[in-house]
Amino acid sequence: MSGSRGRYFDGQTAMRHRVDAVFDRRTNELVISGDTLPVSQRWPAARIRALKDEAHEYRLTITVHSAGNDEAQRDAVRLSVSDPGLISELKRSCPELHRKDFRSGFIRRIAIRSALAAAAVVVVLFVLLPRMADTLARFIPVERETAMGKSVVAQIERALGGTERNALRCFSRGGQAALETMVVRLTQAQELEYQVNVLVFDHDMINAFAAPGGQIVLLRGLLDNADGPEELAGVLAHELGHVVKRDPIRYALQTAGSAGILSLVLGDFSGGALTVLLGNWLLKASYTREAEAEADRLALEMLNSAGIDSGGLATFFTMVASSEDSGPDLPAYFSTHPAASERADLARKNSRTQRDTAPVLSDREWQALKTICNVKQSEQQ
Amino acid sequence: MTQTDNRFHWQYVGKHVPLFMLGLVTGLLTTVTLGIYRFWAKTRIRKYIWSSATLGGDSFEYTGTGLEKFLGFLTAVVILAFYLAIVQLVLFYFGLSIIGESENPEGLAALPIQFAPAFVTVAATLPLIFFAQYRARRYRLARTRWRGLRFGMDNGAWGFAVRALWHWFLTVVTLGILLPRKTFWLEKYVTDRSWYGDARFEQNGKWSELFPAMKHLLIGVGILVGGVAAAAVIGFALALILAVVGTMWTLIGFVSFRVRSFAYLTRQKTLDGHICFRADPKTSTIVARICLGGVAVSLIAGVILGLIGDYAMSAVSEIVVDGETSAMVLTVALVALQYLAALVLMDALVLAWITQPIIRHLVQSISVLNAEAIDAIRQRASDSGADAEGFADALDIGGGL
Repeated sequence: MSGSRGRYFDGQTAMRHRVDAVFDRRTNELVISGDTLPVSQRWPAARIRALKDEAHEYRLTITVHSAGNDEAQRDAVRLSVSDPGLISELKRSCPELHRKDFRSGFIRRIAIRSALAAAAVVVVLFVLLPRMADTLARFIPVERETAMGKSVVAQIERALGGTERNALRCFSRGGQAALETMVVRLTQAQELEYQVNVLVFDHDMINAFAAPGGQIVLLRGLLDNADGPEELAGVLAHELGHVVKRDPIRYALQTAGSAGILSLVLGDFSGGALTVLLGNWLLKASYTREAEAEADRLALEMLNSAGIDSGGLATFFTMVASSEDSGPDLPAYFSTHPAASERADLARKNSRTQRDTAPVLSDREWQALKTICNVKQSEQQ
Repeated sequence: MTQTDNRFHWQYVGKHVPLFMLGLVTGLLTTVTLGIYRFWAKTRIRKYIWSSATLGGDSFEYTGTGLEKFLGFLTAVVILAFYLAIVQLVLFYFGLSIIGESENPEGLAALPIQFAPAFVTVAATLPLIFFAQYRARRYRLARTRWRGLRFGMDNGAWGFAVRALWHWFLTVVTLGILLPRKTFWLEKYVTDRSWYGDARFEQNGKWSELFPAMKHLLIGVGILVGGVAAAAVIGFALALILAVVGTMWTLIGFVSFRVRSFAYLTRQKTLDGHICFRADPKTSTIVARICLGGVAVSLIAGVILGLIGDYAMSAVSEIVVDGETSAMVLTVALVALQYLAALVLMDALVLAWITQPIIRHLVQSISVLNAEAIDAIRQRASDSGADAEGFADALDIGGGL
């Protein structure tokens, strides 16, 4: 019997066989025969599959299903035919011509590998990196950490809109002296590895940061909105809590490690993710809730031993809580902190147990601090 | 018909519109599935392009599957998660030590902290990137067939990574003079490990013979550097013109180098010792394809996006009846959607009107000599394809086809 011409490849050699292909309706098989083929091939209709996404418009390349170890499940034989009659016959008679075959157990394989990938990411982010960061942080010499902290502060300044170094930095002799008085009083009972350095930047945001190496930045918005020096002392004590626990350097290390993974998962490998993350971390100071709670605990401890009323801190948290309630104006910094109202309650409860408290600053000192931004460091000689 | 004097010619039968539609549909599916479909998208596009290339009248075939690529990606994520986290953390730590050594934290020390992240990422991943490149090429070859026979490549990804690091280092320290050496030896490493069936490819030739391919690159750099250096003598305006001309010339010089080194390296390849290749691609054709394709793509994209934008805005103005908030949300959502749609559209347009014509030109510029010897080549054992390009996908360097 003569059929349509086709090109047949046996999957064993690169030789092209010129063949005749006929669809035998009686046996429901495609019969392939040619001079160069030792025996004619008979392909059962149910096993015939067409190749997908082929560019040739008038040609059909077919093969047969084979349950092998590869995902494609296709035999190596190929038959290419161009005859429209045979093509439409094949389309009519082969019920599974366009079927997609899967290797058995593919759902299990997807599930296992997805679970493994997710588990690896979780283990690395939440177990491995924090441990490694803690260990490495212990080996960083203080002076190097301080140098890094200064660079970080410079970056914060740039992120807040400072065009050059010290462009935003507020400085007055009286104001700075008041800040130092506060720091000395708060840290007298603490053993600190760093020389604490507190700066004020001229910016509306109600915010404060602790950078590595004992560098602390307060923003003017915080001074403007503070009801009294005790409120500011509370916030400062909280940041000092982070400094005592070396949170900034540990989290910087952790962030550096996690950035690679996140860019991996997000498919962005330009390093952009790391930069963004570091920047985010600086501006939001997104420590974990545990780290924040610990800093709060230390803050209260410092306030108690310094004899400073923690009611100021309670007032501050109440203010934050009310701005949380009032909607989207919430300062980003506080969104990762524990609920502000709970923290206000803790500080208030603590203040009731405090006895001999003394004002942290005199009125004159407080005024000097509040007006520290009237003069800029860069305008001074 | 394409068989004359024992020589096989290549044809490329792919068309613009079908490939564009394929790129568009798979791109939209990728967006909708938050990127997961990208493995299937790439597989389908490769199937189309591979089957478009015919040699001696017989099509190539891409037999990879999206599923194995997805599984390979997941495996790579497990390994890379540990590797990247540890290496980046350790490098960052040492980066800190370097910062600390500088006394002045305002000037130079402020720089590393900004560039450290990008630098650390690159340093940590460079060896892996070369490793992944080799594995990706091996996977692509293992999933390519012609006349039913598989292509394939031997193991050797780490050897490639080490050599690539060394040759790139030499290229950089010699300011690019040794670029031909790098190009030749890396291609030779890969080619000598490549197979078609049971027949091995071999890269012959000499690296120094790639120097002429650098001609236009050197002329371009010469004009650029000369113009800038002589700015004081010849005046600012003339120097500016020279700088612009030099830049253009350098860019075209890069294309020229790629094309001419491709041609030389192809001509110097043999298969099974006695099957040879001819290749004469034209730089001018490729540059023209890029420029014309670029114009066509921007025109089409402009028209389509303009229409979408108009429609979207009018839809907003119709819907907005109650309050401003919903209007804001709607506008933002529409802008985001438009942005994503624009990305998908551009990718599909570039694929069909720039990438494909370049592939077409390169493919059609090649012919195979002593082609009858091909018939004697036999099948090779199948290769599991290792991670199925998973590392390349995870590191996002599998962008090319």
